Amino acid sequence: MAHPEHRADEVDEVVLHPRDVAFDWSKLPLHWVPGDPFATHVINVLHLLLPAGERWFVSVLKQALPLIRDEKIRSDVLGFIGQEAVHAEAHHSVLEHLPSQGLDPTPYTRQIEWFFERILGDRELTGKAAEEWLVERLAIIAAIEHVTAFLGQWVLDARALDEIGADPTMLDLLRWHGAEEVEHRSVAFDLYMHVDGRYLRRVRAMLVVAVVMSWLWARGVRFLMRTDPHLRGLIKPRWRDLRRTRRLGRTPGYLDVLRSLARYFRRSYHPSQEGSTEQAVAYLAVSPAARAAEHR
Amino acid sequence: MTTTRPRDYIVPPDLQGRADRDRLWGVIRYAAAIYSGVARLGQHPPVQPVDRDLHVVIERKERVADGAVSLRLVAADGGPLPRWRPGCHLDVLLPSGRLRQYSLCGDPTDRSAYRIAVRRIEDGGGGSLEVHDTLRKGDELRVRGPRNAFPFLRSSRYLFIAGGIGITPILPMVRTAQLRGADWRLVYTGRTRDSLPFLDELHALCRGRVRVRADDEHGGLPDPADLLAGTPPDATVYCCGPPPLIEGVHRLLPVDRPFHYERFSPPPIVDGTPFEVELRGSGRVLPVPADRTALEVVREVLPDVAYSCQQGFCGTCRVRVLAGVVDHRDHVLTDDERAEEMTICVSRSRGGRIVLDL
Repeated sequence: MAHPEHRADEVDEVVLHPRDVAFDWSKLPLHWVPGDPFATHVINVLHLLLPAGERWFVSVLKQALPLIRDEKIRSDVLGFIGQEAVHAEAHHSVLEHLPSQGLDPTPYTRQIEWFFERILGDRELTGKAAEEWLVERLAIIAAIEHVTAFLGQWVLDARALDEIGADPTMLDLLRWHGAEEVEHRSVAFDLYMHVDGRYLRRVRAMLVVAVVMSWLWARGVRFLMRTDPHLRGLIKPRWRDLRRTRRLGRTPGYLDVLRSLARYFRRSYHPSQEGSTEQAVAYLAVSPAARAAEHR
Repeated sequence: MTTTRPRDYIVPPDLQGRADRDRLWGVIRYAAAIYSGVARLGQHPPVQPVDRDLHVVIERKERVADGAVSLRLVAADGGPLPRWRPGCHLDVLLPSGRLRQYSLCGDPTDRSAYRIAVRRIEDGGGGSLEVHDTLRKGDELRVRGPRNAFPFLRSSRYLFIAGGIGITPILPMVRTAQLRGADWRLVYTGRTRDSLPFLDELHALCRGRVRVRADDEHGGLPDPADLLAGTPPDATVYCCGPPPLIEGVHRLLPVDRPFHYERFSPPPIVDGTPFEVELRGSGRVLPVPADRTALEVVREVLPDVAYSCQQGFCGTCRVRVLAGVVDHRDHVLTDDERAEEMTICVSRSRGGRIVLDL
C-alpha cells in the first residue's frame, strides 16, 4: 500500500484491456534469483499453478457472463478475462522452457490441471445446482484475486530482487502480471457482490482458498527443490527458509500473508482498499513487455 | 488445450512416480465432493439489474475550432455529476442509437457540468455528423461513465503531445498539472492553427509552456523527432492524436521513458470480404459485411458472447467451427486448435458460410 498520503488524489479505477506480451526465456538462468534457489522456487510455483488456474478462471467467468445485469461489471469482466488468458499463456511459456534446463514440471502440473478441470470443473451439474456451484466458484475467484493482488503489489515493491540481480525478463513478467492483478483487483469481488454478495459464502471460499493454496505452494516448492537438477534433492526446503527470504525482501513472509488474509474477513472489505492502481499503471508504462506489445 | 484430455475422474499419479494415483489427492477428491455439495445448498439472492445511465441535457453547444464543436452537459435533474479524473471519457448514446466515446475536456473540479468536444468527420461512421448537425441546446442525452482508459499519474515533469481533437483528454491533464505546480510542456499539432480547439484556454493557463505546430505553417505533417526536440528528457509523456503520431513518438522514446497514450479502437479490418455465420443454437444466419467482424454481428443477437482483446491475441472469443473454411487471422490458436476453432474477433471466412457452435 504505497503512498497512502496521495490516495484521495490517485487514479483508482481504469478501463481494463489485455496486453499482447511475449517473453524470450532462452537466457533465463535456472536460479534466476542468483544464489537463492529457495527464493527462486517459491516464486516459480506461480508458473506451475497459474496456467491451469487462470484458464480455469476464464472458463468459469465466461459461464458467468449471462448472470451479469450491470453493463459496467460486464465490461470489466471482459477486460479481466482477456488479461487472465494472456497471463496463463505467459506463465505457460516459462513452463515450456523448464525442461531445457533439466527440470520437468509435468508430474506436478498434471495434478494441477486435473485439480482445476475435474475437482473445480463443472462437475457435470445442471440447472440450479450448476448455477450455485458456478457462484461458489466466483467466490473462490474473488478470494484468489485478493491473494494475487497482494502478491502483485508485493512484487511491484520488491526492490531487493533488483538489487540482487534477479533476471530482468522474469522480473518484467512478474511485475507486468502483478501490475495487471493490481489494476483489475476489484473485478472478481464486484462480480461476486453483484451476483450473490453473502458474507458467509465469501469467507467460506477464502478459508478453502487459504488452506488449499498454502498446501499447493508448500508442495510445489518441495517438488521443485527435489526436481531441480543442480540441487538433486540435497537441499530440502525448511519452513524457516521463508523467514530468511522475507528478511532479505525476496519473498513475502508468513505474517504478511496472514495479515492480508485477515483483511478479507472484514465486512467492510473492498479490494480498492488494497494496493495502488497508480503504481501499477506507472509500471505498465515502462514495462519492456507491455511497451513492446502495444505496437506489435 | 482442454479438448483432448480424457474426461474421467481418475486421480493423477503421485509426484515421484511411485504410485499410479496420488493418495493425498484421492482423499482431497472426497473432501472436494463434500465441499461442492455444501456449496450447492440454498440459493443465491436474485441478481439486481443496475442502471448506470446518466440523463444529461445539452446546456450549451458552441464552435471551438474549424470543424469542431463542444457540448456542455448538465444533469437532467440539476444535481452534481459523478466525479472524474483527467483522461476519463463518456459513452454517449446518440438519439440514432449510435454509441460513441468522447473524452471529457472540461474542468475536473467542476461537478456541475461535463464538456465534450467533437470533430466533424465527413466520411466516418456518422456519429460526429449527428452531433454537429442534429443535436441542439436543450436536447436530452443518455450517457454512461465516466470511465478512465487514459489514466493520468502524478509526476513532477510532463510532456504532453496532442494532435488536433486529441487535445480533449490532454486539456484536463494540463489544467491539473498546472494546478499541482508541475513542470509541463505541451506540443500541439494540427492541420492549421484555426483547426486547433481550446488554444485560448491553453494560452490562458500558461502561454510559455505551449508550442503550437500547424502543418500549413511548417510545410506538412510533423516529424516526431521535431516534436520531441528541446523537450525535457526525463518528462513523463502523454500523447493523444492520430495513430501515426502516437506510433512515431513511441518509436523514438527510450523504453524506460514513461509513455502513456490514448488507446484507439481496434485496428481496421484489412481486405475484408462479406460472409455469413450460422449460429448452431438458434439456426439464425447473420450476414457479416466487409467492414465488420463476426464478433460485432454475433454480439447483436447474443450479448453474452465472450470476447476481450478484439485483436486476435487473447483467445477469449474462440468458438468451435462446425462447418466452413476459416481465414484465421489470430495469433493465439495452434494449428490443432485452428482445425476446430476460430477467434471470431478477427478471423473471417475464406468464402461461404461458417457454422458456429453458439
